[in-house]
Amino acid sequence: MNALEVVDVKKTYKDKVAGRPVEALKGVSFSIKPGGIFGLLGPNGAGKTTLIASITTLEEPSSGDIRVFGDSVLSHPLKTKMKVGVVHQEVINTGFFSVSEILDFQSGYYGIYKNKERCDYLMQKLSLYEHRHKKVKQLSGGMKRRLMIAKALVHSPKLLLLDEPTAGVDVGLRESLWKFVYELKNEGVSILLTTHYLEEAEQMCEQVAIINKGELLYNGTPKNMIADYSQKKMILTMKNGNVHQFTESQKLGISDVLAKHHVDINQIQDIKIEEGRLEDAFSKMVAL
Amino acid sequence: MIIFFTLVRREIKRFLKVVIQTVISPVISSFLYLLVFGVSLGSSVQLKSGIPYLSFLIPGLMVMGLINNAFQNSSSSVVTSKFSGDLEDIRVAPIPHSYIVWAMGLGGIIRGSLVAMVTGLVGMAFHYMQLSEFLWIKHPALLLYFFITGGLMFAFLGIFVAVLANTFDQLSAFSSFILLPLTYLGGVFISIESLHPAWQFVSKLNPLFYLINGFRYSMLGESDIGIGSSILVTLTGVAVTFAMASFSLKKGSFSRW
Ligand SMILES: Nc1ncnc2c1ncn2[C@@H]1O[C@H](COP(=O)(O)OP(=O)(O)OP(=O)(O)O)[C@@H](O)[C@H]1O
Ligand SMILES: [Mg+2]
Repeated sequence: MNALEVVDVKKTYKDKVAGRPVEALKGVSFSIKPGGIFGLLGPNGAGKTTLIASITTLEEPSSGDIRVFGDSVLSHPLKTKMKVGVVHQEVINTGFFSVSEILDFQSGYYGIYKNKERCDYLMQKLSLYEHRHKKVKQLSGGMKRRLMIAKALVHSPKLLLLDEPTAGVDVGLRESLWKFVYELKNEGVSILLTTHYLEEAEQMCEQVAIINKGELLYNGTPKNMIADYSQKKMILTMKNGNVHQFTESQKLGISDVLAKHHVDINQIQDIKIEEGRLEDAFSKMVAL
Repeated sequence: MIIFFTLVRREIKRFLKVVIQTVISPVISSFLYLLVFGVSLGSSVQLKSGIPYLSFLIPGLMVMGLINNAFQNSSSSVVTSKFSGDLEDIRVAPIPHSYIVWAMGLGGIIRGSLVAMVTGLVGMAFHYMQLSEFLWIKHPALLLYFFITGGLMFAFLGIFVAVLANTFDQLSAFSSFILLPLTYLGGVFISIESLHPAWQFVSKLNPLFYLINGFRYSMLGESDIGIGSSILVTLTGVAVTFAMASFSLKKGSFSRW
């Protein structure tokens, strides 16, 4: 059974922007196998947050269906919500309560009464324990984001949705955050994340989907995406001092490229190859 | 059940954190009303029923405290959530809408009743000092009924208005253009028997009139209208406002301000 199935989801916002309704999602379909990290990538305004909001039922899709471990979020929301944890892109700023009170309430929302052990564990893990008596407004931006992550995990969800979890988090913390995400993955949590740091996505995700303007452009492994959409650069320094530069499909091997450009192998002094990157593939795809 | 009590706990904790604003300040304004209207002006007011004006005023002020604070509690809970976004947490969690409505209803009753009861106690003290006579509650069970229905009705209304409001101004417009006139015209300070028949008719269209008179009957044993219609109208009011609150949660916008 898939952890998440998104089936032809369309979403049109009724509030008009510039005189017409916004089609934020134009029929997106993909699925996520359990226990992996899935990257949902796309430029600003692509529809990522809208899709996440549809999974958590904050927004209702105009058509299509979304299933979490086999249950539709539209017809069985109480069942699917129990299995989902979400870290919103925008920080939730609960003014009245302290960090530990917030986690306590959050546990209660999922029907868990005494959840101190889990909450303490999460606060330790996310370096929030010494700040547990502070109110949200007394936290720094990065701490707030970590609090949001702790909140999403109080009920040990099987599917975790992370909408730009590393925005505004410093380098050191980003690393420990990703380590934590890996740990969760190893515990069997399925993770969907969005990020604008494509390098992170390339390292972290087994699968990526690219959306742009509400349409799914690609769904597969980062490796295949690089192979399909990016190019490698080959810089040849010849024995006579000439330098040749070829930019070719990632799929061609070195000898293919040399043959294509009729280069005499014996005349080569040095070869330098720059492999394609997810970022290049992404830029190329989104610009199309 | 745990989910429901968590929501109620959150409502109560929230208003206790700002207890000065939520409980003390309404009690102070009731105190001033009692002093100015009940004691100073009241001695020169003669009601047809023969009831001292101070006795007449106390149930009215209690209703005012109850409904204003029940309304405030749920509406400000929704509105602050709209600012902070923490309604999203609740909407994302596996919580049926009815829990949210009932929890806010209960939070509203508790805060409203707290204010109303303190107002009532202060009023009784005034009453004893002024008229050397203790103000006994004639029908305590009925009074409890009106506490519950009145509190629920306005807490539910608060949810409805706050969820559907798109700006803070719309919310305060509702308070000052609809809620406040209804309260004053419902007979907090006056008996409709002193009004022109046309105004009497208009008053009877105001659901608050029935709540205020229900309170008055429960405490004094007398009111402008039969107790049966008070019970019926308030009960209908609870049902209607519950439906409105549920509707707003289902259809309303939770986007942040
Ligand atoms: N409540 C709303 N009402 C109207 N339009 C909206 C609403 N929310 C989002 N949109 C529009 O829907 C589109 C998709 O927005 P969305 O927030 O899903 O993008 P995103 O991929 O998350 O972008 P980002 O990377 O900037 O977070 C945008 O054009 C946006 O303007
Ligand atoms: Mg977004």
